[in-house]
Parts: sequence; structure tokens; C-alpha cells
Amino acid sequence: MKEISDLNFSENVKYTKDHEWAKLNKDIVTIGLSDYAQDQLGEIVFVELPEVGDIFTKGDEFGSVESVKAVSEVYLPISGEVVEINGALEDNPELVNEDCYEGGWLIRLKPDNLLELDDLMDKAAYLDMLKG
Amino acid sequence: MNTQLKTTSLHQWHTDAGANMADFGGFDMPLWYETGVKNEHLAVLKSAGIFDTSHMACIFVGGKDAFALLNYCFTRQLSSLEPGRCVYGAFLDKQGRCIDDAIVYKFSDTRFMVCVNAGMGGVIAKHLGSQKQAMDLEISDLSGKVAKMDIQGKNSAKILSRLIKNPGLVFGKMPYFSFKGSLSHGALSEGTNQEGVTLLDGTPVLLSRSGYTGEFGFEIFLDPAVILSLWKDTLIAGVPFGITACGLGARDSLRTGACLPLSHQDIGPWKFSNHPWEFALPYTLDKKGFTKNFLGAKALAPSKDDNFIYPFVGQTLRKVTAGDTTRVLDETRENIGRVLSCATDMGIGLLGNKIVSINTPGLPLDLKITGISCGFVMVSKPLEPGAKLTLNEGKRSIDVTIATDIRPDRTARMKLDTFI
Repeated sequence: MKEISDLNFSENVKYTKDHEWAKLNKDIVTIGLSDYAQDQLGEIVFVELPEVGDIFTKGDEFGSVESVKAVSEVYLPISGEVVEINGALEDNPELVNEDCYEGGWLIRLKPDNLLELDDLMDKAAYLDMLKG
Repeated sequence: MNTQLKTTSLHQWHTDAGANMADFGGFDMPLWYETGVKNEHLAVLKSAGIFDTSHMACIFVGGKDAFALLNYCFTRQLSSLEPGRCVYGAFLDKQGRCIDDAIVYKFSDTRFMVCVNAGMGGVIAKHLGSQKQAMDLEISDLSGKVAKMDIQGKNSAKILSRLIKNPGLVFGKMPYFSFKGSLSHGALSEGTNQEGVTLLDGTPVLLSRSGYTGEFGFEIFLDPAVILSLWKDTLIAGVPFGITACGLGARDSLRTGACLPLSHQDIGPWKFSNHPWEFALPYTLDKKGFTKNFLGAKALAPSKDDNFIYPFVGQTLRKVTAGDTTRVLDETRENIGRVLSCATDMGIGLLGNKIVSINTPGLPLDLKITGISCGFVMVSKPLEPGAKLTLNEGKRSIDVTIATDIRPDRTARMKLDTFI
């Protein structure tokens, strides 16, 4: 596992305590796993994602990420409807390890309530939480 | 790092290489390097990998009654074991429970080496001592005094031939589970009276044609002071073959696919019978009795409350967590046991209903092999191969099938000539 100082934390996303990130672009929110989460999981071999059209509430489990080491559920940072899933992960789940904020995104969501994003942490708050 | 953990002579190399380290048997060991478990696993199946296995412990047992003691304490029949041969088995307590598994190496009728798991050198040495009574022999726990590295995979001999003197002679007549050579000092310096094995600089090593991956290869025992240079030399000599340093993650997935048990996980403080490793017991041909009396034998008789251990294979690479959090459900959805091990063998896939390996000849070109989960379950009733189970962990379930073997087309037992 890397030291926190060796990990990459994007400035442009909001983080959850479960180590997901959310990024708003126009009216769609993209969701993925933080660099800390992928590093903890180790080499990811399978990503289970929901279907387009599935509707979730903030905090719902929306899929799972399986690494050589463990299986980990992923939880939704905000409520909404799935409008796109990252199909590239089916053949290349390692994208979550290699490029967690760009090519390794998990799902895109049409949010119910954008204000829910305000409950998430910015980079500084997330780093504070990680450093305990 | 927890300061309580022990380290091997290669510890600095592992951390310099960026390995993910974790406690294994009280040692701070590499789980995987930057290469990743999948590539490390596949490297052994396709070419070669090296493993630091210095956490394992060696015990020397020598003297007039060395054979008698070992043959009483070990589950294999040692009377037919020739010098220069080694054999896999287990040490049981009086109740027939497994204390640890081991490989016993025979140098001569009065000199044996026992290789056990991490942290078990003292335990097994003490156990043997407790059974010694008036016997004339010496037991030395060599924990920390002998280092070991394994080179595994079909190009192992080609790579080693660049690192040892007289490889042609060394590799001649070296069947599976045989060994040659000795160590430079101490109890193991006398060897087997066969030709020695030395590195190019004259350093003696003990070379054993064995391993824990199911693939062709060797375990190399040597002085801890020289393992770092051999490790580095092996990585250099192996460059043309794409050799890869492998951590305990790949070691675990390779051994699970090879249907080999992990001590204290698949075998342990429960009755050592009704499992896929009954070849490690000295059964008579009709399997109605044993060919010798040994410690724990009486307790192995079948009884009403017996459990049964079976290998299983999943349908995809998806796995579950081993241990008490996962239920083992039969076709009536009754929970009948627990998962002992579950790993993904990244080198196997399904062709129709048949498991194939990336080393299976004649595979269709468009077949994509992404791995299949596999492992061992302990259940409360006998099952037939082909029986279907569901392994359930919270919301997650995988369907698995009881099997007799897992990864096909393994290379461990193939003739050495095939690989030179």
C-alpha cells in the first residue's frame, strides 16, 4: 500500500467517507473510486455495475469491485437514475487502478437533488479524514 | 511495519521493489509487486517466477533412530524413501489433527531434513522432541539459518542452468520430488553422497525438484547470506524468459488451482482425513488400513461426526471470502459447512463445460481465458464430484461445483528433459 502522500487526489471531485468520488458536469454526475480506495483494494479483476435506468437513493449499494485481495461494495454518494455505465470496465477492470478519476469511472447518474453534493467532502476534508 | 514481525534476508529487496507487504506466519512478506498478482500468476504458467520462501523453516533430524522417529510422527511411509528423495506429508497429534504439513528430505538412513511452514520450526522440533523418549537422535531447529527461494514454471531449468555448475549433470536423473546438493555448513553440509550442486562461484545449495504451484520447478535451500545475490542473478539470467518476482498472492492462487492445501487453513487442528490429500496417508491398497503405525492413526478411523473437504470450482472469476462469513448452501439451501480457501486461478477458463488452462494444447484462438474461482469447502456430509453448491456471503452468491481437480495441464510432474 502506498503512503497517502504518494496518492493522487483530484481537486475537481467531491469525496465520500466510503472513498467514492462524484463529479458534476452540466447536469450529470460521474461516480468512481478514489485513488486511496483502489490502492487499498489492490489489483481489480472484476467490476459489477448496475443497469442503465436503475434508480438509487444516496447511500445505496450500487455494485461491487472485486480485487485479487477482496470484494468491496460501492455506495452511491447521491440519489438518482443511472444514465450510463462504464462498459470499458468489463474487459479492462484494471482501469480503476490505472486511471481512477478518468478512464476508470464507474457510472453516470442523473441526480435527484444536486444539493446532496454539498454533503460530500472536498479534497482537503477527505485528506484530513484519511490522515485521521 | 509492525516491529514484532520477522523479516527474511530479501526483505529490503521486496520493499525497494515496491511490494505490498503483509504479515504471513509472523513474517513481513510480499503479497505482490508492482507487476500485480495476475501477471505474477500468469508468468509462472507461461514461463517462470521466483518466490522468497525463506519464511519456511527447516529442521534437521539425525542419528540412529532418526528414521524410526520420523516414520512414527510423519503420515507418509518413509521405509521406501530412497536417499535423495523427498516426500510430502503431515505431522498429526494423538487425536489425528494436523499440526503442520511438511516435506521430509532423506539424505541417508540416519540423516533427514524436514521443511515446515513459517513459524513452525520450533513447534515441530518440540513435537518431535516430545515423542523421542529414549531414542538415539538429534533434532535441530534450523529456523532462520536456512534461506529458501523457489523458481517455478516451465523455463525454470533453462534459467537455473545459467546459474549453476554442471547443469547437465545436475539435471540428469532428477525426477519430481528428488533433490541434490547440500549447504555450506552445519547439519546439512554432508549432502546425499551424490554429486553436489554449486552456484557458479562455488556456493553449495540444496536443489529440490518440488514447489507449491503445481508447475515444473525447483526449491533452492541455501545460506541466508547468499540468497540476495542468487535472487538478483536469477532475475538477470531470467530476463530473456520474462522471469517475474512473485509474491504470496500469486503463490496462493497458483497452489489453489493446483489443488494443494494451505496449512492452518485447508488442513489444521481437525481430523486429517476425508480430504483431497489422502495420498499423504499411508493407506494400504484396499484403503482399509495403514501400512504402518503412526501418531494419530487410530483417531483417523471413520466416525459419525466426520466432516469432508472437497475442491470446488466456480463459473467465473468471481470469488467469496473464506471463513465464517460465507455460508455453503446445498441444493436444498441448507448451510452445510464453511469455505476454507477461495482464490481465482487467473490461468483457467471454461471451454463448454470443461475447465481448460492457458497451457492446454489446441485451444480455440478466440477463447478468452479470464480466470475461474476455486478453493476448498469443509462440509458435514459426503458429496459427489459434480455436486452443486452456492457460496453465499451477504447479498453476494456464487454457484460452484464439487470437483476432483482444478487447473488442468499442470507441468510439475512432467519429465525434466521436456524443459531443457
